[in-house]
Amino acid sequence: MNPEAIIPEAIIPEAIIKDALARKLTALSEFDSKRLLKAYGVAVTKEELVTAPADAVKAARLLGYPVVMKACGPGITHKTEKRLVEIGIIDDERVASAFAELTARAGGSCGILVQEMIAGRRELLLGMTRDPLYGPCVTFGLGGIFTEILDDVSCRVAPFGRADAEAMLDEIRGAAILGAVRGMAAVDRGALCDALCGLARLALEHDGIKEIDVNPVIISEGEGRPVAVDALVVLG
Amino acid sequence: MLDAMFHARSVAVIGASKGTTETGGAKLGAAALNYLVDHGFDGPIFPVNPRYQELAGRRCYANVRDIEEGVDLALIVLRAEACPDAMADCAAKGVKVAVVYAAGFAEAGDRALQDRLLGAARAGGVRLCGPNTNGFINAVDNLVCCTSSVSDMNPFPGGDIAFIGQSGALGGSMLGCAMEEGSGFAFSVTTGNEADLGVADYLDYLIDDDRAKVFALFLEGVGDAPKFLAAASKAARARKPIVVYKVGLSDIAAEACASHTGALAGSDRVFDAVCRQYGLIRVDDLAELLPTATAFSWIGDKLPRGNRVGIVSASGGINGVAADECHRFGLEIPELDAEAKARIGEFVPSFGSVRNPVDLTQQVRSRVSAYSDAARALLDLDTIDGVMLFATMVGEPRASVYGEEFSTIAREASKPVIVGWAGPPGLASKGFPMLQAKRTPTFRSVRGVVKAMRRLYDYRTFLSRFAREAAE
Repeated sequence: MNPEAIIPEAIIPEAIIKDALARKLTALSEFDSKRLLKAYGVAVTKEELVTAPADAVKAARLLGYPVVMKACGPGITHKTEKRLVEIGIIDDERVASAFAELTARAGGSCGILVQEMIAGRRELLLGMTRDPLYGPCVTFGLGGIFTEILDDVSCRVAPFGRADAEAMLDEIRGAAILGAVRGMAAVDRGALCDALCGLARLALEHDGIKEIDVNPVIISEGEGRPVAVDALVVLG
Repeated sequence: MLDAMFHARSVAVIGASKGTTETGGAKLGAAALNYLVDHGFDGPIFPVNPRYQELAGRRCYANVRDIEEGVDLALIVLRAEACPDAMADCAAKGVKVAVVYAAGFAEAGDRALQDRLLGAARAGGVRLCGPNTNGFINAVDNLVCCTSSVSDMNPFPGGDIAFIGQSGALGGSMLGCAMEEGSGFAFSVTTGNEADLGVADYLDYLIDDDRAKVFALFLEGVGDAPKFLAAASKAARARKPIVVYKVGLSDIAAEACASHTGALAGSDRVFDAVCRQYGLIRVDDLAELLPTATAFSWIGDKLPRGNRVGIVSASGGINGVAADECHRFGLEIPELDAEAKARIGEFVPSFGSVRNPVDLTQQVRSRVSAYSDAARALLDLDTIDGVMLFATMVGEPRASVYGEEFSTIAREASKPVIVGWAGPPGLASKGFPMLQAKRTPTFRSVRGVVKAMRRLYDYRTFLSRFAREAAE
């Protein structure tokens, strides 16, 4: 079995959003957020949502160690602060114990997400908010802990073309980080542009989405491949 | 729809009067009528005021409805409370567009009065400019419906800039200063509270007018954003640059805008993105708005193909400053090839600089054609996309020689040439105005020159991208 196959290919975005709205959810879970984003061209981590320790182990083996495990459910946000993320899990035994601990900390009744761990030091963010005047705005910038500190972002109003997506990459003050620096591979700019244009399309096609936060997008150390490691789609 | 405004065939002035106020200026009702008459509008003008039989040599009507002929445009110069009734009369008369000058509506907290005014207009299909506006000018056809004392300038210098501003008072002063510096306008409109017509409507309409080639916008908010963006796209297709200054970076400014014209300032970051996306040339200093628009008006047909500039002056000092400003704003100053160096070396003394930037030294005083020779040597290079000429302390009669020479270089060049004049214009009493009269973009500051070149380049870059995307 190919790890790719873990994420079902036939995603119907409408169904995910419709189902969430029917359940009166205000946000999609990380798993659903990523399934939706993947359908719109955003590269996301390979992952599986499980509800039993044995399935967690199976998924981890399939993905290959080390893996990351997270509590996952529609109401779960600020996972790091709530200690609902375990990274660098290296064997079956630790998967089983992480499963138990995360479930306990989350107060039960949630799924556990087992995902590949992306090795990379560069973190970016992609986002979408709705401006009261101009409608959907897509943002790009430095992610992770630098998001708030440096406030280094560029933005465009949807719809926009590829040239604008390219320009967004160059407009942040820290644009040099996208290049081949300190032995790290240059970022796959095409993939980032795909993701930015995808977010714009997603926002234009689905009024029910109020906000999207894809942070961090980690740049894989070897290949410079941007991968969305966490994501939140807010409805309303 | 706005033909009846900008190309009105007949105009009624409701509240027309005569006489002056305590400070010596014409009363508003007198100003509106007199400016219209004095600037030579060639259609019928109908003063309306029950207190007069005749004004400005014309029959004065008690009510706009009494006018036998058709009325395209009504200028309502009454106090705020009287405007809704006057608007109802306009509606009854079949007036197509009315300009309401009075303040005291939504901007002063009286939303109900503004709603009554707008209701009266809508009921009769009258389009409304204002209220709380200084009106508009179609300088091409001498239709001056602007009560700002900028209309004392008579005649207006001709030109192809269209100014659209959300502040009447500021709009008038900016327009006046620009015209004193040689800028020429085709149209100007201050939009007031935008109860009905807004910035996007005027922009959309005027883009279609061949006589408006460059737009200068003073914005507090854009009102109808989708309409504004559609107009911006249309301007890009027509290759008509839009230069914009927008208020609202700070919270206090945003509040001031909201209480001034009721416009939402919106997020500055998003507006900035919109400017980049739609090729709007955003200036961050109000003083740059009209000079930038003027540069586009004068040399917008010679946009630089790249960011590489040649610099010529007779001062090592100003060359250093220019090099720094180019660095700051992302313009390159390429090295010269051997041939160009030889060409320039023929007339630059050994203690000058046969490099880019070229320093002609004060020897320039004895060689009339030094600037031209150096500028042409640079302009001929494929590696140079535009040239900047700087004059330092120059008085008459030499200033006139420079004025003539610089404007000739600029006119003949197929690449943009921008002049920096660092000395006092007063001592260059003929040469400095000559540059403006000959439509040579001239700035008093080095930074002004460099920023103008950079913006011309940015717009060219935008147009190429826009054309590419349109083709895809």
